[in-house]
Amino acid sequence: MTETTVRSTRVGTVRRWDAGRITRVVFMTFIALVFLYPLVGFFAVALRSDAGVAANSGGFLGLGNISFTAIQHSWNEIIAYGGLDTPHVYLTWLGNTVFVAVIGGILALVAALPSGYALARLRFRFQRTILVITLLAMVMPNTVLVIPLFLEVNAVNAVGELWPVAIIMGFFPFGVYLSYIHFRTAMPHELVEAARIDGLGEVAIFLRIALPISRQAIALVAFFSFVANWTNFFLPLALLTSSFGTQTISVGIQSLISSSPLFNPTAAAGTPIKLYMPELALATAISTIPLLIVFIVAQRFLIRGQTVGAVKG
Amino acid sequence: MTTNTGAALVGSPSRARVRRRNAHPPMRRREVAGAWTLLGPYVVLLLIGGIIPIGYALWVSVQVSPTLLEPNKTGFGGLGAYAKAITDFRFGQSFGDIFTVLLVWLPIMIVAIVGLALLVHASPGRFGSIMRFIYYIPGALGGVANLMLWVYLLNPSQSPISGFLSAMGFTTIKQVVATQGDLPVILAAMLLLQGLGQWIVTVNGGLNSIPDETLEAASLDGANAWQLAWHVKLPMIRQWIGYAALLNLAYGFQLFLEPYLLNQVASGALASEYTPTQLGYWFAFVGHDFPAAAAMSVIIVIITLAIGLIVVFRSGLFAVEEH
Repeated sequence: MTETTVRSTRVGTVRRWDAGRITRVVFMTFIALVFLYPLVGFFAVALRSDAGVAANSGGFLGLGNISFTAIQHSWNEIIAYGGLDTPHVYLTWLGNTVFVAVIGGILALVAALPSGYALARLRFRFQRTILVITLLAMVMPNTVLVIPLFLEVNAVNAVGELWPVAIIMGFFPFGVYLSYIHFRTAMPHELVEAARIDGLGEVAIFLRIALPISRQAIALVAFFSFVANWTNFFLPLALLTSSFGTQTISVGIQSLISSSPLFNPTAAAGTPIKLYMPELALATAISTIPLLIVFIVAQRFLIRGQTVGAVKG
Repeated sequence: MTTNTGAALVGSPSRARVRRRNAHPPMRRREVAGAWTLLGPYVVLLLIGGIIPIGYALWVSVQVSPTLLEPNKTGFGGLGAYAKAITDFRFGQSFGDIFTVLLVWLPIMIVAIVGLALLVHASPGRFGSIMRFIYYIPGALGGVANLMLWVYLLNPSQSPISGFLSAMGFTTIKQVVATQGDLPVILAAMLLLQGLGQWIVTVNGGLNSIPDETLEAASLDGANAWQLAWHVKLPMIRQWIGYAALLNLAYGFQLFLEPYLLNQVASGALASEYTPTQLGYWFAFVGHDFPAAAAMSVIIVIITLAIGLIVVFRSGLFAVEEH
């Protein structure tokens, strides 16, 4: 008993490099390396030549045969993909994804902030009902609704068009919950009362008092919805497959995979464009750049809002 | 500002509210009108993106399922589409497949989430946050990018673990993926790498909400780092572990992207209706049987909704259960 007390006090206060601490650091570093090793190798493939990757040359993770000519070749192949009907379709896919992700993100903001405010600070019937529905929609994986959404969009003859995808992406219950928590914690009720006594209407209070103190919430909702929209696969797959030129990048990469001679020799035989691992990896790597950009922009907001942001599954 | 505290505030009615309601009826009316104005855009999107599609799917699912003999027959079909979906030989199989994946994946996932979250929590300062960031990267890449990462890992011709794969006797990615018994393990590994980081952050959020005094008191009582984690921290994040388990369970039920794309990579050597969601997709896009597709998705919605109800009302994280 006494022995334990002495040892643990030392652990807690002096922070020596004892066996427990060394084990922890070594183990965590090992796991991190297991995570990083394939990532580094994968991004290296994007910068290597077809021949180099096929021959598995280049030393450790192939880093040795990274070259500018290889990148240029891969890029030219990606750009040439699409044929006459849909030239440089890769760029079209990127543009489509920017369109749905941005419009979806703006709709999510326009819907989430005022509704989060109303749910947190105003009293009305069905307040709790709407909150519970929002929580349920938030914890359910959004893919379970894709087939019903397809049936709905099909019923209005809009399958193959981008705008229904953008509108559906605007439904972002997690953003409503984030805003709700924000207004619940960051905005004192007295502020609302004071503004009311000054004669401001509810909408005016939201616009002039609540919104200006909500940069943090705006950044979080925008970030999470943009990332969710950018990486969404099943919804655009179901709503856009019929039309090659209106796909988003995630569905487009799937098309690249299926026309690669690596996985589908017969389909690839007919085209002059040969997409091997470097081309596929480069196309994938480029598609993650927007995520990197928004991550860097949103980083300072994310650190502070991390715990709240973490609730989404 | 943790979710815990935020969630605890959900739907807690105060006596003041009741009093004010009676005292200022005109002000109340303005407040209600203002609330619905502010809620307007969200309610519209909720209807378009959630309520109407579910209602419409329910309606479609009780229509007559088209058959080969009568492809254009329409009308009320009762529960025929449900019967058709459930009696399809792939229905039971796809749920069996999902259970196999869940059985392999979920226990490892939960242990890994909790273990790494405790380790990150025991590492304050720069080292801990760098580790947490690295664990987060694969999940941040998103589904398709992650799949490409796995294609790179699993293709014996250029994999960084090609030695291991060839030792197992594999020469093509098709063999790796399509060999009997491999798919649940591969899917479990994919889901683990993809989801781990995000859940470490979540559970870490729960750990951060443990009051410092509690941890200090335990230290003073003589608990070492291990005892602190096992006897103090673990019991205090029980609800977060339950939350993680339930949400990952729901996530597992809707699995689509990974088996769907792995099948493409394996040149169609896998079952294209491996999971229930894939079967629903097959009904809609290959079978052109919308009632059966709708029935299939209603079944999946009911399962995930049940899990969602448990999360919202029983997990203790959202505190909507009293009243």
